[in-house]
Amino acid sequence: MASLFNLKIVACDGVFYDGPSEMLIYPADDGEIAIMNHHEKMTGVVDIGEIRFKLEDGTWQHAIISDGLLSVYPDGGVKILAYSCEKPEDIDTFRAQEALERAQDALQQKQSYIEHQMSIANMARAMARLKGASQHK
Amino acid sequence: MASTKEIQNRINSIQDTMKITRAMYMMSSMKLRKARKKLEETEPFFKGTQIGLAECLAHFPDIRHIYFDNRVEDDHETVKKHGIIVFTGDKGMAGAYNHNAIKLAVDRVKGIAEGDECTLFVVGEVGRSFFMNGGYNVDENFRFSSNNPSMHRARVMAAYMIDLYNKGELDRIDVVYTKMLNSITEEVCVERLLPLKTHKFIKEQAEEIAADSEGVSKASREMKEGIKHVHSINSYEMEAISQGDTFIPFYPSVSVVLEKLVQNHFTAFCYGALVECSASEENARMMAMQSATDNAEAILHDLSIEYNRVRQAQITQEITEVIGGAKALKKKKEKKKLQNK
Repeated sequence: MASLFNLKIVACDGVFYDGPSEMLIYPADDGEIAIMNHHEKMTGVVDIGEIRFKLEDGTWQHAIISDGLLSVYPDGGVKILAYSCEKPEDIDTFRAQEALERAQDALQQKQSYIEHQMSIANMARAMARLKGASQHK
Repeated sequence: MASTKEIQNRINSIQDTMKITRAMYMMSSMKLRKARKKLEETEPFFKGTQIGLAECLAHFPDIRHIYFDNRVEDDHETVKKHGIIVFTGDKGMAGAYNHNAIKLAVDRVKGIAEGDECTLFVVGEVGRSFFMNGGYNVDENFRFSSNNPSMHRARVMAAYMIDLYNKGELDRIDVVYTKMLNSITEEVCVERLLPLKTHKFIKEQAEEIAADSEGVSKASREMKEGIKHVHSINSYEMEAISQGDTFIPFYPSVSVVLEKLVQNHFTAFCYGALVECSASEENARMMAMQSATDNAEAILHDLSIEYNRVRQAQITQEITEVIGGAKALKKKKEKKKLQNK
């Protein structure tokens, strides 16, 4: 078994996870990136999507994350700050579906650049949630 | 002395007012509980993003970028455009809560160097109407309520402000918000969100604070007080820089990380400020209503004493009148008796 590092995921409604992990896989701009212990110190960007991390007992924990930042510390610890992070089983599919439809509606109407960007981001979040929820049923 | 009727009227009206203040007290104590819970949940995130930003900035290379306001064209600008986001409440009746925030914002507007422009972005109706009536330059399109803070509102707010900044319509963005220190004290804070502090600036400030062991300089004083971080660094940045400032890799690239960093920090700060403010507002309202109820009780106590006194005086007077009348009658009778004899 690979060595463990401390993983901390903080979302805006509380600390999602704080504990040891063997490997973390997160979505980046150009595909998924895995981080193990003794990773180089760095700062990176997490995209909207699904992250997974291997727990001490070898099981994989999945979570749907919205965009955020990730930093690796010299001691190998990893901290992720994201707006939201949820377990697939906690996602309210109904709400996510509604949000998706709202975002699609908003996209169809002519609107300003900011609103357009926000709708795209909203849509990406809703789709990530729905995808995550349906995969882990 | 007022008549019993007048006193009775006053007592009734005060009792009615007290009913209202008591109900408002109950409402705000309930809302405060909710807001407190939210504040507790948000705190790690709010603090985390500030620490995250500080750590990133401590390791950031010295570059020229609009987010540091040090591009060549920025250096040549003679007029700096200031934007101040002021967080106030939607309703009054919250003690000095709104007043304090407004006062600090007004001070900041006055403190801006001559020739610079200033636009206010006001959250909450109370501050909004104050600044509109006072003839301040208020952004009309920036309309947000301070009730029930939500991430969505913070996102819209941050996107709006960052867009203005990137368009060059603002060069400085400060935030004035109320922080809840504990259940009794709250403090109005100012923080500069954009431009970010450069690595060089943080290092210089940190060195100044480290060199100044007595803590008398402006930089270290402001850091300790922890309420004003416009021209100084905060404790997170001090701690981050003290742990080394070597350059670390940024993935996928420095500019992408910087973009994300600014957006994240801005949104998180707006959300954090919204949550802090709603908790502070409810707390201030609760305390104001509590003291209003207490005052009403004290007045009622005094009034009831006065009422009893007046009533007693009236009774005494009536008795004296009756006795006087009886005496007069008696005298009359006696006179008649004497005449009859």
